Amino acid sequence: MAVTTFAAIDIGSYYVNIEIFQLSKKTGLKSLTRVRQNIEIGRDTYALHKITMERITELTDILKDYTRIMKEYGVSGYRACAKSALREADNRYLVVDHVYRATGIRIDVLSNSEQRFLGYKSIASKGEEFQKFIEKGTAIVDVGGGSIQISLFDKDTLVTTQNILLGSLKIRERLGSFEHETVHYDQLVDQLIRKDLLNFKRMYLKNRKIESIILVGDYFTNLIFQNRSDVNKTESKEEFMIWYDHVVSRSPRDIAEELGISSEMSTVLIPMAVLYRRLIEVLEVETIWLPGIQLTDGIAYDYGEQKRIIRSNHDFEQDILAAAKNISRRYASSKAHNDALVSAADAIFDVVRKTSRLSLRDKLLLRVACYLHDCGKYISLVNVAECSYNIIMSTEIIGLSERERRIIANVVRYNTQNLGYYKPMGTADGLDIEDYMLVAQLAAIMRIANCLDQSYLQKIEEMSVTRKDDELVIAVSTKEEYTLEKGIFHENVDFFEEIFNLRPVLRIKGRR
Amino acid sequence: MELRASEHFYNRELSWLQFDRRCLSEARDTKIVPLFERLKFLSITSSNLDEFFMVRIASLKDQVHVGYKGVDIAGMTPEMQLKELTEQVHEFVHEQYQTYNRSLVPALKKAGLEVIRNHEALSKKQSAFLDKYFEEAIYPVLTPMALDSSRPFPLVRNRSLNIGALLSAKEDGGKLRGKGKKKKDVQEFATVQVPSVLPRIVSLPDAPDGHKVVILLEEVIKKYIGVLFQHYVVDCTCTYRVMRNADFEIDEDEAEDLMLEIQKQLKKRQRGEVIRLEIEESADKRLLKILKKELEIEEDGIYYINGPIDLTFCMKMYSLPGFDSYKEPPYTPAPVKEFMQDEDVFAAIRKKDILVHHPYMTFDPVVNFVKQAAKDPDVLAIKQTLYRVSGNSPIIQALAQAAEAGKQVMVLVELKARFDEEHNIAWAKMLEKAGCHVIYGLLGLKVHSKITMVVRREEEGIRRYVHLGTGNYNDSTARLYTDLGLFTCDDAIGRDATAVFNMLSGYSEPERWYKLMVAPIWLKNDFLKLIRRESAKASSGEEAFIRAKMNSLCDPDIIQALYEASTAGVKIDLLVRGICCLKTGIPGISENIHVRSIVGNFLEHSRIFWFHNGGDDEFFMGSADWMPRNLDRRVEIVFPVEQEDLKKEVAQILTTEFEDNVKAHILMSDGSYEKIDKRGKTLVNSQALFCEAAWAAVPKRKNPAKTRRFKPASLKES
Repeated sequence: MAVTTFAAIDIGSYYVNIEIFQLSKKTGLKSLTRVRQNIEIGRDTYALHKITMERITELTDILKDYTRIMKEYGVSGYRACAKSALREADNRYLVVDHVYRATGIRIDVLSNSEQRFLGYKSIASKGEEFQKFIEKGTAIVDVGGGSIQISLFDKDTLVTTQNILLGSLKIRERLGSFEHETVHYDQLVDQLIRKDLLNFKRMYLKNRKIESIILVGDYFTNLIFQNRSDVNKTESKEEFMIWYDHVVSRSPRDIAEELGISSEMSTVLIPMAVLYRRLIEVLEVETIWLPGIQLTDGIAYDYGEQKRIIRSNHDFEQDILAAAKNISRRYASSKAHNDALVSAADAIFDVVRKTSRLSLRDKLLLRVACYLHDCGKYISLVNVAECSYNIIMSTEIIGLSERERRIIANVVRYNTQNLGYYKPMGTADGLDIEDYMLVAQLAAIMRIANCLDQSYLQKIEEMSVTRKDDELVIAVSTKEEYTLEKGIFHENVDFFEEIFNLRPVLRIKGRR
Repeated sequence: MELRASEHFYNRELSWLQFDRRCLSEARDTKIVPLFERLKFLSITSSNLDEFFMVRIASLKDQVHVGYKGVDIAGMTPEMQLKELTEQVHEFVHEQYQTYNRSLVPALKKAGLEVIRNHEALSKKQSAFLDKYFEEAIYPVLTPMALDSSRPFPLVRNRSLNIGALLSAKEDGGKLRGKGKKKKDVQEFATVQVPSVLPRIVSLPDAPDGHKVVILLEEVIKKYIGVLFQHYVVDCTCTYRVMRNADFEIDEDEAEDLMLEIQKQLKKRQRGEVIRLEIEESADKRLLKILKKELEIEEDGIYYINGPIDLTFCMKMYSLPGFDSYKEPPYTPAPVKEFMQDEDVFAAIRKKDILVHHPYMTFDPVVNFVKQAAKDPDVLAIKQTLYRVSGNSPIIQALAQAAEAGKQVMVLVELKARFDEEHNIAWAKMLEKAGCHVIYGLLGLKVHSKITMVVRREEEGIRRYVHLGTGNYNDSTARLYTDLGLFTCDDAIGRDATAVFNMLSGYSEPERWYKLMVAPIWLKNDFLKLIRRESAKASSGEEAFIRAKMNSLCDPDIIQALYEASTAGVKIDLLVRGICCLKTGIPGISENIHVRSIVGNFLEHSRIFWFHNGGDDEFFMGSADWMPRNLDRRVEIVFPVEQEDLKKEVAQILTTEFEDNVKAHILMSDGSYEKIDKRGKTLVNSQALFCEAAWAAVPKRKNPAKTRRFKPASLKES
């Protein structure tokens, strides 16, 4: 049958959603039903840093119900994703295990960047409209219970994406104790978030003109303008302000009654409204788009892409690379060198891939590593490897999981540092044997590729990489002096051979 | 003018009584209604009144007990209502018996059915027959109970028919108390229940002229009562019946704050309090005095009955064999043409939405819908709400089969359906055993919506088939109630249907409804919006009208909106079978509103709403009346009819019903209902027309029997 049904489960700070989708090549992605249950997991996490047994039981009960819904639609696959409520809980792995044993559902605890990437894919699932928006300066703002993510797009590419650890539920919890000391709760919220938003503007927005904002989030986002019949819509700034005044001027209880939500939920709505307003003001946008989508749309879209049921006209890998290039530009890396490095690394990778277990995803990681390989220079010329490692570890790169980011950081670090042999109990960086092997292979490729442009002068005119028996033959043609490169190349040959069992050989043509 | 002023509304209880009067008027209609159908109507008025006492009068009594002084929309306190009702009910009962004694009994005799009222009138032959019947059938099941100082007054069961007797000791022996006292001082009270296991109507041997003769069971027992108290002389007997305020939950029709109040005071409630005593008019004063004292009943709760108590036996009389010429010919529901052409229910629904009109059309497609789903390997899930289900429901069996076949079956069973609780629990347990996911209603909300959804995996993906109805999934009432149902596989309705079931499972409400209007929370506003939209059209000079049909109309907000619409110039025509608190013909307020009520052979039960919407007419049907309980305290679904041909069909149904001049009564501005003057008009009996139309729509099939011929084999030929 050409039609697949799929269940996407989204475990948020104050709700658990399931959405059943139908996917087919012909009709694409279609939602069949969406169910939400309220459960404030985030409350445990943000206050206690762990999830209580009571809450876990509540969660497993909900998920048990959801397995029944999955049966009702005979789903052939599912993915359950948890976000900051689990990510920030110290006992998250125990929770995941507990849920699995009780329900058979395996929860993916997403890294922030994975989560945002899925959120971003969910917007992309709207197709043409999305393309139209991101051609001009657009900010995607995703307000969750635990944090806000702001991603800037310009001319069809992602400029930057930043996470601010202030979500609606978190704000409510944080202000909870002195909420009663003021009648102007909205101003209190405003003061709490203002600084972060202004910093963001100064650092990343600079002179960029942002014309529109895309609001995504969850169920709440869709409550804005409270029009049941038209969830997917655009609004002007003025219309938003009318809504804002309406929400902020009312007591949570009134709002709850009006919108037909619980009053507990409505106390989350005010911080969210203030956040949105601040953002709209800081970014100076005119149009607001509410695509009416949720994370579940992104999860399903991602699944559809992987199963090759859906084909996007937007290249998401390019977004990841664009993000990496932007980071490297921020740390004043040489673009020319990086481009040379990437093309050399690509060429080597393509040859060795045939005899290794490397995947195309690994190639993407290698490319990102190349763009970021010397970003640490910005901090210290002496300690480039360590500094680069630290920058990467603390920078969001959209679309990459935490594990992938750690691999990239290590590849960059061992591009110059000595990589010791793997020992049981792992390395100091917490790499397991598989990750260690991947880091070693990518680092070996990068070292060879890097020394081909050691002088940063892009001396190579043409290059080819071939395999000949036990040798990896790298033929370069250059009209310039190539002694330095050649020398360094030889220093790295042993390492590469040890890893791939292939000895790199440099052949230089066209020397004067 | 203040639209909400109490003088602009009728009290709902009094309006209900008007409805029972309309039923009674059918029983009195000697011109059009066949004799035995009149019996049926009389029986209905009686069972209606019983329910009214147990639910509404009981509730008013509760309110008086807790000292509730609030007023209803008509400005009446519970006490005022009780007073007015008691007066009117007494009058009503008087009319019931007048109808029975003066009109029905003589007419029955003429028709060849003699009802012997007093056993003294029996012939020798008849007495001899009864001697034997009493001894063999009746005597073994009687339990006489005597009252004396050592025993408490016996429990007289709610709604049971009883015979009370005064006994005195025989001169020779027997138990004597207070020797030396005069005879009348030693009278004792005894009572015996008329057994409900025996038929109320006892057929006697036919009269010499061939007439059928019957006598009621209580008269037979009276005749032989001496046998029960052998050592006594039976001085007098009388039949009586009590109705108690007992074991019933607080009626959901009451306002929420009131319900809480009553709940709090529930302990004070006089459990088992007698709220009505019906007693033979000719009862001995001493007997009456004892009953009055022991049952602790006020004078206004006593109904002196001139005739047999509890007229529901008339329904049994209707079922006596023969007398067909005095009954409406039985109607066989017509098949539904769309389902005739297609064996496969789902294939038929895929072609187009299908409207079914019961009881004119058969209920079978609804049953088959579930049955076929249970067997279909591509069906993944079946979900259904069940409110009142017939005893041996094929639907329940099909659901159980589906669960056994591994399908996901969810059934919502409403346990709060009046008087059906016990019955419902039994089969709900059965479904659970079969593996269905059974939900027993929602806390504080009665689930009244009628919806079934089948989730099916098909070539093009998941498809949801939905049946939405105005009536219950009950194959036996579907032969008596007029209801409409819609089969559809519309995607938006499927999505909404899923959301309804999710809501019923305790999950969140959906972010939006695509096409369905759902109560509580949303429905009332949706209706108000539709009414106001019509008002706006009228105000801007466009033609505007609302035509709606329902069982009851008593929601004050809706009525106010209708008054506003009427004032704005919207033409409003309503068919309200039962309670209607709206007043017609108030100058400047409701001059544009007309209300009719149809009381026919079938119980009018469908709810249809038609809004003109400036020419882009919109039609809705559903389970909800315009009553606060439907709009605020129940889960109800009102659904749109969208396909053009079906809209026309629904419009036609409503139009025909508004044209009815045989069974329709018109609400007058003084609150009375009057039948239409038929002189010079073509008679329109909407129910009869629908019966004809349903069969006329059935495509004629070639009778295969005509073309088939069996050829007898012949030995000679071979």
